[in-house]
Amino acid sequence: MNLYENIIKNNNHTETPSPYVPVMGTVERVTRVTEHERLFVIAPSNKELLNYCPGQFYMVGLPGYGEAPISITSGPGQEKEFEFCIRAVGNVTNALHRLRKGDTVFIRGPFGTGFNLEEMKGKDILFVAGGIGIVPMRSLIKAVLNDTKSYGRLSLIYGSRNPDDILYKEEFEEWKAKGLDMRLTVDKPHPTWKGNVGVVTTLIPKIEVDPARTIGVIIGPPVMYKFVILSFRDKKITDDKIFVSLERRMKCGVGKCGHCQINSSYVCQEGPVYRLKDLHSLPEAI
Amino acid sequence: MDNKKYAFITEKDFKGLVTGLIKEYKVFGTIKKDGFPAFAGITSFDELELFQSPTHLSAKEFLFPQRETLLKFNIQNKTHEPVIESGEQVIIGMHSCDIHALTLMDRVFAAGTPDPNYLSRRAKTIIIGTECFPDKFCFCKSVGTMTVEEGFDIFLHKLKKGFLVRTGSVKGEEILSRLTKSRPAAFKEIKEVEALQKVKEGSFITTLDAPAEELPGIYEKSDNSPVWDRIGAICYGCGSCNHVCPTCYCFDIKDEVKANLKEGERVRVWDGCMVEDFAKVAGDHNFRGLRANRLKHRFNRKFRYLTGKFDALFCVGCGRCSRTCLVNINIAEITNELIREHNKK
Repeated sequence: MNLYENIIKNNNHTETPSPYVPVMGTVERVTRVTEHERLFVIAPSNKELLNYCPGQFYMVGLPGYGEAPISITSGPGQEKEFEFCIRAVGNVTNALHRLRKGDTVFIRGPFGTGFNLEEMKGKDILFVAGGIGIVPMRSLIKAVLNDTKSYGRLSLIYGSRNPDDILYKEEFEEWKAKGLDMRLTVDKPHPTWKGNVGVVTTLIPKIEVDPARTIGVIIGPPVMYKFVILSFRDKKITDDKIFVSLERRMKCGVGKCGHCQINSSYVCQEGPVYRLKDLHSLPEAI
Repeated sequence: MDNKKYAFITEKDFKGLVTGLIKEYKVFGTIKKDGFPAFAGITSFDELELFQSPTHLSAKEFLFPQRETLLKFNIQNKTHEPVIESGEQVIIGMHSCDIHALTLMDRVFAAGTPDPNYLSRRAKTIIIGTECFPDKFCFCKSVGTMTVEEGFDIFLHKLKKGFLVRTGSVKGEEILSRLTKSRPAAFKEIKEVEALQKVKEGSFITTLDAPAEELPGIYEKSDNSPVWDRIGAICYGCGSCNHVCPTCYCFDIKDEVKANLKEGERVRVWDGCMVEDFAKVAGDHNFRGLRANRLKHRFNRKFRYLTGKFDALFCVGCGRCSRTCLVNINIAEITNELIREHNKK
C-alpha cells in the first residue's frame, strides 16, 4: 500500500472541510485613526476565531473584492470581539474602509505563529515599531501590559513618518501608566512637534539594555529591520533573543499558494513571527 | 522483475479497454495538437495516440485546473458555499515523470491543511501510465523518476506486439479484469520490457553531473553564483516554465462577480513565481523584484526548498521548462553549471 492508495483513494475528500470558507463577522465600531488607517471592532459569528496569540493574522475579506492578510491588533483573551487596524492601500482594504457599524465582513484564521509570551516572561522587552508595524505590536504590548508583574523593564521605540501618522496616540497615557517607557520619533516633524526627529535607530542607544535579560522585538517596514538589528547588536542583544514579524503577500493562509514564501519557509505557517537566529538560513527574509 | 505483477494484453484488448473507459468515464488522452503531443478529451479510441516524448503541457490541469471555483458567494444573502468540482475521469498516456509529479502534488495538497478540491478530484481520477523514451531535454534518469512504482492505476509497457501491464491499485485491477481480457505475462515479454528499459537508460542526451541526493546541498551553496544574474538578464519573466511544470502548484485567489452584482465566485487560478508581481505586497514593495532572484527561487524550490518539507526533489526531469523557454534557459544545464562551480570550491 502506498500514499496514493492510502490517503488519496481511500478517503472521501468531499467531506474534508474547505479551508477557504470564511466566517461572518459584524462590524461593531469603526474609528478613523489617521487619514489612511481605520480601526475596526468586529464580532465574529464563530467565537473560536477569538482564540489567537499576538503576532497572528487573519484573512479579512469581502465577497466580490477578495481577501487581505491583516494582523490582529487587539490583546489576547477577547470574548466577544477583536480589532483590526487597516490601512487603505489596495482594492480589498479600500473596500473594507467603506464598512460602517452593523456591516458584515468575512474572516478566516487565525493563521501563522504568534509571539511566545512564556519565553518573554521575567525578561526586559525592547519593542521597536516603525509605521504600521505598531498595529501587530499593539497586540503584544497589550498582552504584556496586562501582566506587567511577569516581565521586567518594558520599552517601546515607535517611529512614524510624521506626527499625524502616529497610531494609538490616545492610548499612550494608559500604556505609560502601566509601566511602558515610550519614546516616539518622526521623520518629518510639524513646527509644533517637540519630540525626537529621525529614524528609530537614533533612539536605541539611549535605552539602557542588559543583554543577558533583554528580548528585542522588531516590526516595521521592510527597510527598517537591518538597521534596527545592527543597533541591537551594538547593544549586545543576541539573535536568539530578537523576534521579528515579517510581512509578505498572502492568498491562501494554509501553506499552499506560495506567495508568502521566504526561501524554504512559508510565512503563513512558520511566520510571520520569526526568531532572528532562525532567519540566518533564510537570506531572502531581511 | 516479478512476473506475478505483470499481465499481458493485446492491441485489440487495449482498444477494448480504452473504448470501455470512454463509455463509463470522461477520458483524457494524448493526441497530436499542432504537431505536438498534448492531453485532450477523447471520445473514441482512434483519437488516442501514445507518445514517447512528453506533452508540452503537463496533465496537472485535470487535477489542479488553471481556473477552478472554490466558493460561490451571494453578497445579498451573505452566504459562502464551498464548491468542489470533481468528477470521475481517466487520464491515459502519463509518463513516469508525470506520475512522480502527481505523487508530489498529492503530498502537497494532503499535507497540513488538506485541500479537498484537489484531493477529491485526485481520488476520482484513474491514471493510466505509458512507457516513454527520452528526447534531448529529458533527464528523469538523473533525478530518480525514470521508472514509477506508485501513483497510477494501470501502467502499460508497449511491446512489439501488445502491452505488458502493471496495476498499481485495487481500482486498476478491477478495471483491467472488467473491461478487458488479460493473461499473466510470459517470461519473454518481461525480458522484452527489461531490454527496452536498458536501451532507454542508455539513451539520455541530458544528464545531471551529480547524484540526485547531492543536489539540495549543491543548491544550498549556490546563492551567490554568477549564474543567477546571467540568466536573470535574459529571462523574460513570462512564467511559461511555471505553466508547463508538472509540480508548480502556486496559485492566486480572485473574486469574480456576476452581472447581477449579487452573486459571484471565489476562484483559484494558476500563478507563477517567475511573474513580476508574485511577491509584491500592497504599497508596491516587491520582495522578489529581480528576475535573477525569481529564477533562483524557482530553481531552489525544485531542488532544495520543498525537498526539506516533502523528502523528494520537486524537479522530475521532464524537461518541459527547458523545452518551452523562449530564451533557452535549460534547467539541466544550469544545474550542471552549479555542480561544476561547487566541485571547483
